[in-house]
Amino acid sequence: MARPPGLLYSVDETPPRAVFIVAGLQQVALMSNSLIYPIILGREAHLSADRLLDFVSVSMLALGVGTLLLCARSRFIGSGYLCPAAYTQIYLGPSLSAAQIGGLPLVFGMTLIAGILQTAIAPVLRRVRFLLPPEIAGLVIAVVGLSIAVLGVRYSLIGAANGATTSEYLAIAVVSLMTMVILNVWTKGYLRMFCVLLGMAVGYGASAALGILDFSAANPSGGLPLLRFPSLYLLQWRFDASLIAPFAIVAVAGTLHLMGNISTAQRINDAEWVRPNFISLSRGLFGNGIASIISAMIGSLGINSYSSSIGLSVATGIASRSIAYIISMAFALLSLVPAAAVVFATIPAPVIGAAMFFTAAFVFTSGLQMITARLLDSRKIIVIGFSFAMAVIADVSHDLLSQAPLLLHPILDNALVLGTFSAVLLNLFMRIGVRQRVTIKLDAGHVNRDTIERFLTEQGGRWGARRDIINRAIFGVVQLLEVVGDVPEGTEIEASFDEFNLDVRVRYKGATLMIPERKPTPREIIASEEGERVLAGYLLRQSADRINCKTSGTMAEVQLHYDH
Amino acid sequence: MNNTALRMQHSHAGPVCILSVGGRIDSGNAADLLDRLNGLLSSGEKTILLDLKEVLYLTSAAFRVLLVASDEAERNAARMVLCGLAGQVRELFEMGGLLEAFTVHGSREDALARL
Repeated sequence: MARPPGLLYSVDETPPRAVFIVAGLQQVALMSNSLIYPIILGREAHLSADRLLDFVSVSMLALGVGTLLLCARSRFIGSGYLCPAAYTQIYLGPSLSAAQIGGLPLVFGMTLIAGILQTAIAPVLRRVRFLLPPEIAGLVIAVVGLSIAVLGVRYSLIGAANGATTSEYLAIAVVSLMTMVILNVWTKGYLRMFCVLLGMAVGYGASAALGILDFSAANPSGGLPLLRFPSLYLLQWRFDASLIAPFAIVAVAGTLHLMGNISTAQRINDAEWVRPNFISLSRGLFGNGIASIISAMIGSLGINSYSSSIGLSVATGIASRSIAYIISMAFALLSLVPAAAVVFATIPAPVIGAAMFFTAAFVFTSGLQMITARLLDSRKIIVIGFSFAMAVIADVSHDLLSQAPLLLHPILDNALVLGTFSAVLLNLFMRIGVRQRVTIKLDAGHVNRDTIERFLTEQGGRWGARRDIINRAIFGVVQLLEVVGDVPEGTEIEASFDEFNLDVRVRYKGATLMIPERKPTPREIIASEEGERVLAGYLLRQSADRINCKTSGTMAEVQLHYDH
Repeated sequence: MNNTALRMQHSHAGPVCILSVGGRIDSGNAADLLDRLNGLLSSGEKTILLDLKEVLYLTSAAFRVLLVASDEAERNAARMVLCGLAGQVRELFEMGGLLEAFTVHGSREDALARL
């Protein structure tokens, strides 16, 4: 695991106390944006201000518990990375439908089922990893970034309320966003680390100055006590068979969303990251399932991970898992402070929008980097291009898609889910006809490097292999054939691939290759062509992760193995 | 034009002769590079900066040519310096333990500032 540049505190490091606390609070401020979903649901369920306050307080408690379960590092549960919990759009559509049919008890009951489903998927996640190869994981992460950015714009521009105009909303969003950008790009130390918190504070101040803060919506008529245990009067569970399918889809969509987020969390801690670690994904998913079950048990919505929090880790360089503990503690304590629920419930929409738009940039770029690290042939380009377009369509043509049957709403309502489903299905379809082992016969005579390059590059594109590994293989084969000399009649190259291994076998008529252990000196290389041959053998040994030579009759075979 | 074919172009920056090389260098074309370098030395160039920024990859044949040319430069009281080693090309120099055998600078600008 190599440390990426710009990472200040990696997953296993604990920042100094002051950084630790403020970084935790910054995450709390950002995560509280996601309380908008329980608030929307509570308002749709016509809860009184008192009950809404209870609902938000319970939801904060669930966020604290969820963060702990998602981030823990243990043998059975938790991703082991800073991957805080949040309420997401994925649950909103089906939850609103459930609330209309059977009130909040039905929402809690169906959320319970979705959580149980996720815990059931977790142990078999590794077996279905072919559904989500790294370039598709990259797409998912890029779409996550895109959907956060779209949401950010919506919060900033659309739905101006409380007497404010769209231009006032825009002004607040711009001031808030510019503060974050300036602090992140042109400052160092604490200012950079806490750019989002400071940007939100500036936005909050601007909102107060423009008079658009409205505390009344979540402020009970009887006033606010300093401390109060949230009432659990809402606790009832109901179930409805007609909602099992949408909530099952929610569970699967939430799983894909979580996989994208945990993969990003893994990647920002390791400059040499090449593919998701499925042990961490599986345990993270199990933690997510349990978190949703607990959330449903205490009377809140389903939980997932928060892409904006991951983006914040990238922007600030603070990815320490220990931050999760302070987040959990803070939410547990804040759930007892009704004033906190009011403050969170009244964070101005353009401030939320600015924070989302800012963090979206980091998530989006991370996804693009994952995609471009792989060779892409036309199949992969179609999968990624079409799926990206589908994700955009989900946002742009939302009204059109909303006419589809209710069952499909969890997929069609959400850019991330639609994009991911499209990618997974298209990827499965495009796998048809792609062989994992291919052979090419070379013409006798001079080494035809173009043929070798084309063969390995095209095949690497079909497999979605890493560009750097394919380049090493091309070098290996060309270097090997140079040592052999003119290509003998009947020479063939066989390449085979799975996600973890690339093996290239070169068979030719002739003597077996001598692979030296010792590096030749510059003087030996200059002295004779034999010195060059020794260097060639040495480079071959060094460039491949394993090399084997054998002979069978008149044929020799050299196997070059590359860890992928 | 095939972008993997060997490309060479030389220019001057004061007393420094810059030879920009691109494409791949292997046994099929390494002799062309050696001819070009020998030609520059024969014409009296005393400082040759070999910019390998555009090189895609090089094989043992190329390494031998570079070592031979560097040796030849020394015998002519001249010097050959490398720059622009990046990505796979730099990795190959490191793999062969050949970085120490040459004077290597980062970018062309770095090299010119030091020569």
